[in-house]
Amino acid sequence: MLSENELWLLSFYRSSEISGALFFGKLAQSIKSGPIQHDMTKHFADESTHAWYWTQCIDRLGAKPLKLRQVYQDQYIAAAGMPANIMEVLAITQVFELRVISQYSVHSQAQGLDPVIRDTLHRIMEDEKWHIEWIRDALHEMENQHGKDLVEKTIRKFKEADREVYSHTMSEHGERIKEILYANERLVNGPK
Amino acid sequence: MDRSKFKKAMSEIIKQPVERLGDDALLSNLVTDSFLLVDMVIELQEEFGVFLVQEDLKEVKSVGNLIELFETKSRETA
Repeated sequence: MLSENELWLLSFYRSSEISGALFFGKLAQSIKSGPIQHDMTKHFADESTHAWYWTQCIDRLGAKPLKLRQVYQDQYIAAAGMPANIMEVLAITQVFELRVISQYSVHSQAQGLDPVIRDTLHRIMEDEKWHIEWIRDALHEMENQHGKDLVEKTIRKFKEADREVYSHTMSEHGERIKEILYANERLVNGPK
Repeated sequence: MDRSKFKKAMSEIIKQPVERLGDDALLSNLVTDSFLLVDMVIELQEEFGVFLVQEDLKEVKSVGNLIELFETKSRETA
């Protein structure tokens, strides 16, 4: 049985995966053919699958996904500004994916976590590793076109935005997230 | 740059009638989904052979601003 906070967080993950899938799907449809289009299409398919994993996970735990209006990516664009080309899209995505892996990793280590949630987190984290790899390689290739300095400067700029967004998210939802990560620990170890 | 061709391409991407794409029309009113806005800008760059970076878009608020930016960049590229 999911708590209200857990349902919120899993629904937040689900909404963010859907949002990522829609964005990459649209881009994969419109950019010119080549290796980036190829990998972006796979990335789109993965994000869709992840949304499906979260839907299944919530279902197996006897709940229904919450309808959430805002996703994490919206806050990124608000904080960092709109990316204007594929290099900037990949740079912001790389920073975002690192944040997702970090969040999923922390969540997967929570004590007393339901195995259904842990399995879902692990399945998704495996795919996320490839996401980071292909984007890192694509950005490396783009250094020839845009210059190493510009690519690195762009990544740095988005990393700053990432810290801002994460800090904002934690100030807004931190208590909720901490409650999820540590509530089960209290159940396992007893109150401190 | 052919303004009517630009607006036609824009209209197809954002699924809005060309009549709504007056020079003064605000992009924030035409495209409320920020992801669609990113996609539109990238697709227009590919179609018109222009390269933009984030800073280029800072002052762009309206359809007219966007066309002027593409015209400027197009001249720089030529």
